[in-house]
Amino acid sequence: MERLYFWPQNPAASLFALWVLSQIFLYAARVPMHRALREVGRMLGGVFRVGARWCRGLAAVASKRDHEMIVEMGRGDTEAKIGREFHRIEGAFAKELARYPELHRKLDDVVTKIDGDFQECATAAPAAPGWTEAVAAVAKMPPNMDGTVKKVLEEIQKSAAAGEKKALNEFRETTAKRHKILSGMAPAWKEVQKIATEVARAVSGALEATKRIDGFMTSYEQVRAEDQKTTRALGWNATQLFVVSLLVMAVALGGAFVNFNLIALPMSELVPSGNRIAGMPVSTVAALVIVLMEIAAGVFAMEMLGITSFFPKLELLPKSRRRIVLVVAVGGLLMLACIESSLAILREQIVESSTALKASLAGVKEHAVVRTASSRIPVVGQAVLGFILPWILAMVAVPLETMISTGGHIVLSAVTGLMHAGNMICRLAGHGMRSLFQALRHVYDIYIVIPLQIERLVGNGSKAAAVPTGSARGARP
Amino acid sequence: MKRAALVAAALLAASCSSGSQYSQAIVALVDVSGTYADQRPEVVNVIRKGLLPRLTPGDTLIIIRIDSESYKKDNVEASMTLDVRPSKANAQKLQLASALDDFSHKPLRAAHTDIRGAMMLAADYLRETNAGRRTMVIFSDMEEDLPRGVKRDMAPDELKGVRVLAMNVKRLGHDNANPTAYRARLSNWGKQLTQHGAREFKVVLEPEKLAELLEEG
Repeated sequence: MERLYFWPQNPAASLFALWVLSQIFLYAARVPMHRALREVGRMLGGVFRVGARWCRGLAAVASKRDHEMIVEMGRGDTEAKIGREFHRIEGAFAKELARYPELHRKLDDVVTKIDGDFQECATAAPAAPGWTEAVAAVAKMPPNMDGTVKKVLEEIQKSAAAGEKKALNEFRETTAKRHKILSGMAPAWKEVQKIATEVARAVSGALEATKRIDGFMTSYEQVRAEDQKTTRALGWNATQLFVVSLLVMAVALGGAFVNFNLIALPMSELVPSGNRIAGMPVSTVAALVIVLMEIAAGVFAMEMLGITSFFPKLELLPKSRRRIVLVVAVGGLLMLACIESSLAILREQIVESSTALKASLAGVKEHAVVRTASSRIPVVGQAVLGFILPWILAMVAVPLETMISTGGHIVLSAVTGLMHAGNMICRLAGHGMRSLFQALRHVYDIYIVIPLQIERLVGNGSKAAAVPTGSARGARP
Repeated sequence: MKRAALVAAALLAASCSSGSQYSQAIVALVDVSGTYADQRPEVVNVIRKGLLPRLTPGDTLIIIRIDSESYKKDNVEASMTLDVRPSKANAQKLQLASALDDFSHKPLRAAHTDIRGAMMLAADYLRETNAGRRTMVIFSDMEEDLPRGVKRDMAPDELKGVRVLAMNVKRLGHDNANPTAYRARLSNWGKQLTQHGAREFKVVLEPEKLAELLEEG
């Protein structure tokens, strides 16, 4: 600053001179400076406006893609659900209809039997005709002391009583027979009831399936129609799935880390740890590869079980080949689990050996915690952990697939959100730039306010001289 | 496709490397001259407790004796490079510990102290290991006393990339009377060694600190 002084021994005079010079210069350059500031403000505002437009456009594109992806995902999902229901119905119908002729025949047999029994029940032995009326007429006859008549009548009465008794016995026998036939019909009725229940169950199952299909078809129609509410629900559902998958993946990552640490040390006994790959000992890389192989085997097993669908080519394989791949994947997993289990035992031995070595080097003769060290619980625990962890890691395929399938929606949503934020920031910045340069113009004018005021006074004076009654507002805008 | 395969092969070859550049080589120089000869059991104890347990497969440990004329191959008391298998490495450590025990009980007492000769011998061995981290640990009073006719001129890059740690530096009788002389002696060593390419010269008082410094690399 001092270098700019005209008179270094007199800073005040120098500063004043500089101020006066700056006033003169800035007053003279006022119009071009104002224009320059306005143009720069406009240019920066324009740049930010273009940026905002670009962000808005990108957000719209990302949102559209996201919408398309969600709709496509929902459509595929609903189609798969409908397909699965149809498949289920087809299976159920094939099963039930295959059984239907047999069921029908059984039902026919039972009904025929019931009908026969019923017919048999209907045939009753006819009662002795006229006997009852004859006995009643004899009983109503007045008493007659004639011995022959009396005897005849008594014989008739006896014969009538005997006939009645016989008829009664016959009636009882017939009734007992009917009751026996009726009681024999009970199992047939039960059979009919059972068959009817089975039919009802099959029919209600089919009805439920059709109801479900109806529901799916409704949602499918909504998805096809790209209904806003349905699309929002699908998007939210995808987000939920992504978050859950992410959590499960984080847990699985923890499991993989434990698994890796369990086998990293003993792997140095199997694989020479002298060489390195990207700075990591080969044994560590080998342990990492084993963990990744477990995940890969799990992916194939899940694929063959039809739980996931990473590889469309594998889905086209015939059932027998799929079974072979499944056996290979599960067999590989079993092998790796056994290897890990043995490595876990080896690890414990190495740790024990290292502890003993350290104690020996330090001159300690006996371990202070002999009992704990000699316990087999850690060895068994590590072996079990080594065996179980690969199977748990194999399950990662399911959340992995979900995460990948829903990840696109999350990424596009995030891009849309970011672009909206960028649009807002650019718009604000553009407005801010215009206002800032406007303010700078005012600050400029404030700095040269004295020459401006002088100009105004001079202008007023000259105008007053030229037009005595006119109002002076300043020569410059 | 062919080009991509070539690039991938080149990357793989570049990423694969020998483990020697990640291993460490330590040379312990043990003074057996004058009054420091009595310190041997303590020195062996420090090596057993502080150095040996911290060595990992692939590391090298060499023990060199400082006596009247130290630049002799006979001065190498023990030398081992740990096997890549942990179980074998542990067996080697036990073997070396046994050799160190024998060394501590040997009746040795030299009339002169040839520190630089031992350093030059150690530098030769360290260079041969090609280890990524090279450390020289000196157990001595750091008072050199060369016999008549012995000349030790170290090359400017004699100790290039080597870290020198002076451990358990015993104070001599006149050091107690004048600590400044003791400090000046160590400072001179520091200057001299760094002039010959040493990465660092540090005096270590506690054995635990030595282990920490070795782990830092």
